[in-house]
Amino acid sequence: MDLNSKLKDHILDSIGEGVFTVDKNFRINFFNKAAEKITGYKREDIIGRFCKHVFRSKLCYTDCPIAIALKSGRPIYDFESNISTKSGEIKPIKLNSSVLYDEEREPQGGIISFRDMSDYIMIKDIDKEQRFHGIIGHSKQMKEIFELIREISTSDAPVLIHGESGTGKEMIANAIQITSERKGSPYIKVNCSVFPSNLLASELFGHVKGAFTDAIKDRPGRFEIANNGTIFLDEVAEMPLQMQLQLLRVLQEGSFERVGESVTRKIDVRIISATNVNIQHALKKGILREDLYYRLSVIPIHIPPLRERTEDIIPLVQHFLRKLSLMYKKEILDIEDRALDLLLNYRWPGNVRELENVIEYSFVRTNNSNIIDSNKLPANFNENKSASPATFSFKDNTSENNPGHEAVQLISVLEEHHWNKTEAAKKLGIGRTTLWRKMKQLGIDS
Amino acid sequence: MSEMLANQYFMARKFSDAESLLENALSTSSSPKIIKRKLIICYVQTNKLDKALNLFFRLIKDDIDFILSADPLLDDCPCAELLGNDYLTIPPDDPYAYNLGQGIMWLYCDIDHSLNYFKNLYNLGYSKGMIPEIITLISEKIKQSAEK
Repeated sequence: MDLNSKLKDHILDSIGEGVFTVDKNFRINFFNKAAEKITGYKREDIIGRFCKHVFRSKLCYTDCPIAIALKSGRPIYDFESNISTKSGEIKPIKLNSSVLYDEEREPQGGIISFRDMSDYIMIKDIDKEQRFHGIIGHSKQMKEIFELIREISTSDAPVLIHGESGTGKEMIANAIQITSERKGSPYIKVNCSVFPSNLLASELFGHVKGAFTDAIKDRPGRFEIANNGTIFLDEVAEMPLQMQLQLLRVLQEGSFERVGESVTRKIDVRIISATNVNIQHALKKGILREDLYYRLSVIPIHIPPLRERTEDIIPLVQHFLRKLSLMYKKEILDIEDRALDLLLNYRWPGNVRELENVIEYSFVRTNNSNIIDSNKLPANFNENKSASPATFSFKDNTSENNPGHEAVQLISVLEEHHWNKTEAAKKLGIGRTTLWRKMKQLGIDS
Repeated sequence: MSEMLANQYFMARKFSDAESLLENALSTSSSPKIIKRKLIICYVQTNKLDKALNLFFRLIKDDIDFILSADPLLDDCPCAELLGNDYLTIPPDDPYAYNLGQGIMWLYCDIDHSLNYFKNLYNLGYSKGMIPEIITLISEKIKQSAEK
């Protein structure tokens, strides 16, 4: 074997996909390490054998991927199939195949690279188990939301989803769309907060060539693309007031104009919107138009924060552990009681998203054990072990509902640290400046 | 189309698809005996028995061991699966075709069985031409093996 061949073998051995090559008689002449791992065969046992005797797939007799590439003259990609492993297990795989030609373009063999899809399929299956379109919710509140989604499945009425960041507003929107009669039609998602106000109009309603400097050609907006389907407007309350007026017109009349054009276009789009801001506060401050709010929230859905539905925490933890065990190929399916207590008593300002991150952090840190220990949780959980971990958080949007309660909590932390703002800020996991700003906002005199 | 595709068709037991590609490959292949060995089986399975007989005769005259050594696993020789499962497509009501097909195919698996079918053909009146020569070649091979 020359140096080049050795190098090629080394490269092929270092990649995660299974790779094997066959000669023109379909005898295997190369088999990389990943292929060994996926199939359970050792390369020395199968080199020289016919590939069909090794993989024992029906495809060998009907649609051999290399034969397809031979006939079409083109490589094939992401071909789904099953193979039998050495132990007889049937594994779903996705493969790419290509023909190896000599200098005279005469086929001399073939190459197949393949990925084991078992874990992916298992993760998908887990996601389907006992949940509502991928959403885990065993609590009464979540079950009521699922019931409401079922009830409105024949309606085209606008839905406004409200909930703190990380509660799963987009997943609820997806569930509404997939259960609706528009499920086979376009489903367009727009995050209203990511576009500057001048671009948002063009993004939503499109523009004509020359409407502004970069408008080099006519472009339809998201509403046009979503015609006859559904549009999901995330963070709708972040939309500039001028745009809110235009959106109101779409809701009322189903019509709009592209930027730079006077032609009025008609559309039929179901609008699902979402926000994490305190709506009453936004209405009071004039950030959100009242008329738009009432139009958007024909069907309002409030997703309670995780701390208000603690019965969802355990199923969520179990779900994340199973998912992570498959992803990381390391089986940790349980969590120590003390760690679970800490999770159950935490306020979860970042909600389900934060819980997922906490579980992943702890999972990654757990080695040589099949159970997550409390000391593997992030530092803020263990720092608060002596006191209640359910401490104050500025990220908690609902605290805006009850500034008195927030002030009491803040004063209590300050008292605990003898009004030492550095210590109090440390305890709260925030900066000293943020603490000072919050004290000022709540009227707490230092 | 290529020899490689012919090999795949043969491996997938698509004998009629493999046949024409193997015929094309015969003139250019670096291993014509392997092609011939496969092509004989294709001809039997597509009922082109005269072509099968001609090629079979030429091959065993040249190297009878090449057919005798065909291995179901190492060479993907389909003789065992075709004979064992009665998948041969020879018309059973035609004694000539039946005995000829069986005689050719059995040489890939069992030389004594093969000889019996060729002897049947001889007794059916095919006592001139290639049949008696094939009987001689096979008989000599059996004798040689017994002497070893």
